[in-house]
Amino acid sequence: MKEKIKLSLIQMSTQRENKKANLKKMEMLTAKAKTQGADLAIFPELSLTGYVIRDQLYELSETIPGPSTQKIEELAKRTGLHIIFGMPELSEKTKATLYNTSVLVGPAGFIGKYRKMYLPTHSVFEEKRYFRVGYDATTFETPVGKIGLCICYDLFFPEVTRLTRLKGAQLIVAISASPAVRKNYFEVITAARALENTVFLAYVNLAGVQEGLQFWGGSRLISPTGEIIAKAKYDEEDFVICEVNYNDLRGTEAFIPTLRDLRPELFEKLKKEAECL
Amino acid sequence: MKLTPAVLDMDLSYVEKRLTRFIKQYVESTETSGIVLGLSGGIDSNTIAALSALAIGGERVLGLILPEKETYNQKDIEDAKLVAEKFGIKTQICDITPALEGFYSSIPVFDQKDRLCKGNIKARSRMIYLYYYANRFNKIVCGSSDKSESMMGYFTKWGDVAADISPIMDLYKTQVRKLAEHLGIPKELATKPATPALWPNQSAENELGIKYEVLDLILFGLEHFMKPQEIAEELNLETARVEKVRSRWLAAEHKRRMPLTAKLEYRTVGADFRLPRSTY
Repeated sequence: MKEKIKLSLIQMSTQRENKKANLKKMEMLTAKAKTQGADLAIFPELSLTGYVIRDQLYELSETIPGPSTQKIEELAKRTGLHIIFGMPELSEKTKATLYNTSVLVGPAGFIGKYRKMYLPTHSVFEEKRYFRVGYDATTFETPVGKIGLCICYDLFFPEVTRLTRLKGAQLIVAISASPAVRKNYFEVITAARALENTVFLAYVNLAGVQEGLQFWGGSRLISPTGEIIAKAKYDEEDFVICEVNYNDLRGTEAFIPTLRDLRPELFEKLKKEAECL
Repeated sequence: MKLTPAVLDMDLSYVEKRLTRFIKQYVESTETSGIVLGLSGGIDSNTIAALSALAIGGERVLGLILPEKETYNQKDIEDAKLVAEKFGIKTQICDITPALEGFYSSIPVFDQKDRLCKGNIKARSRMIYLYYYANRFNKIVCGSSDKSESMMGYFTKWGDVAADISPIMDLYKTQVRKLAEHLGIPKELATKPATPALWPNQSAENELGIKYEVLDLILFGLEHFMKPQEIAEELNLETARVEKVRSRWLAAEHKRRMPLTAKLEYRTVGADFRLPRSTY
């Protein structure tokens, strides 16, 4: 496993309902990431289809692996990059259930996927209307690090990133489709989630406007001490190359020993209290 | 929550950027030649004219000035032209009086004295003119309804509110005034009293029975789920005053929605057919 890796935070806008155009754009941007020395290219939540697609989700979702995943796998093989992107997943088992999923592929093919656990269904969000919740946090051991995945609103729930970190993630990749009215919240919680888990956190948000929603961009890499290592522009498309040095993790844990000081017995109490709000 | 005028403060440069980007992207995505808008000389349409010009260039924006004899106001026309000139917008004047008289004379039950029904014909006629130009020249209609009037239902159903996009519908009137000044619209125009011009000397604030400075704070409180009593206490008003605004807001929901239908089938228009717009 590499000790240092280069990430490309690919803050793109998408063409809604146009998988072909989005795949083409992802191909072009992955090639750009390769020329700039990236090891891992990260695209936003539902980057394959666009975010505000409502009932069209039923038509545009695919199994994973499936046709679009295969295209991204080919792209990873061709470029030698690892790639993370978001898409609506159709359950292979039921052929009816949908998930909001983050997919990780590498030069050797499909590595794994994460199904969003917290689906926002309030204000302008209607995810629970369409998607089933995911049930587990995931961490994947890859040549570019132990990578944990989560998606957007998951960040509001510290237990998701904590569980991901406890499964060994050294880099948590949070893909997102967050509109501008939520910007201030994410600026705080991305740093908090990295700091409280002493972990690298890459946040990659959508840019552009869909149905009057301005996706605010602001993608970033946060250090295990909560500092912003690199940040993309607000609102507009952007492409940022930045470096993760996994050697920093050990020193940080010595300085802010949040993992050493974890109190597992509190989780039982949390569970008990949360069951009777 | 404290209900002071500061709650309505905004980063005006950011609002300008967001709205001009929204307009530009919509026009580009629809592959139309530009925008047509009704230019009354009032604050909302002046602001929309300025935003449209800043978004796509004044030469692609057509301001229709649509006077009629009963509410004819030379000053309004001059104000509209002044803003159009400042932002490089083309204008065209269509006197809608003959069309209105055609309606009045051809409706067997037409009642001259019912000024609301008559006034609504004016608002809906203006909509017809705007959509004629939009169809004829492959443009979109950009509406100028603001949040105060939309929440209060202070508009003509299928009339002045009819548009393809309404960029300032999430801004209260007092916020629109500030944005107008920020965009370079002269203060005198930005602060002039609002009127729907459905009949002579009509004043929005007189009809609503409240100053926009107060109304906007009440509406802001309602938007943020404050109870009428809390709002009244914050603003030193009678609770009944706030209740009246709340009732009017809720009663006007039918004006802000697709027509209601009885659900009979699998997926129903306006109910559970939830499709994305084909464009932004």
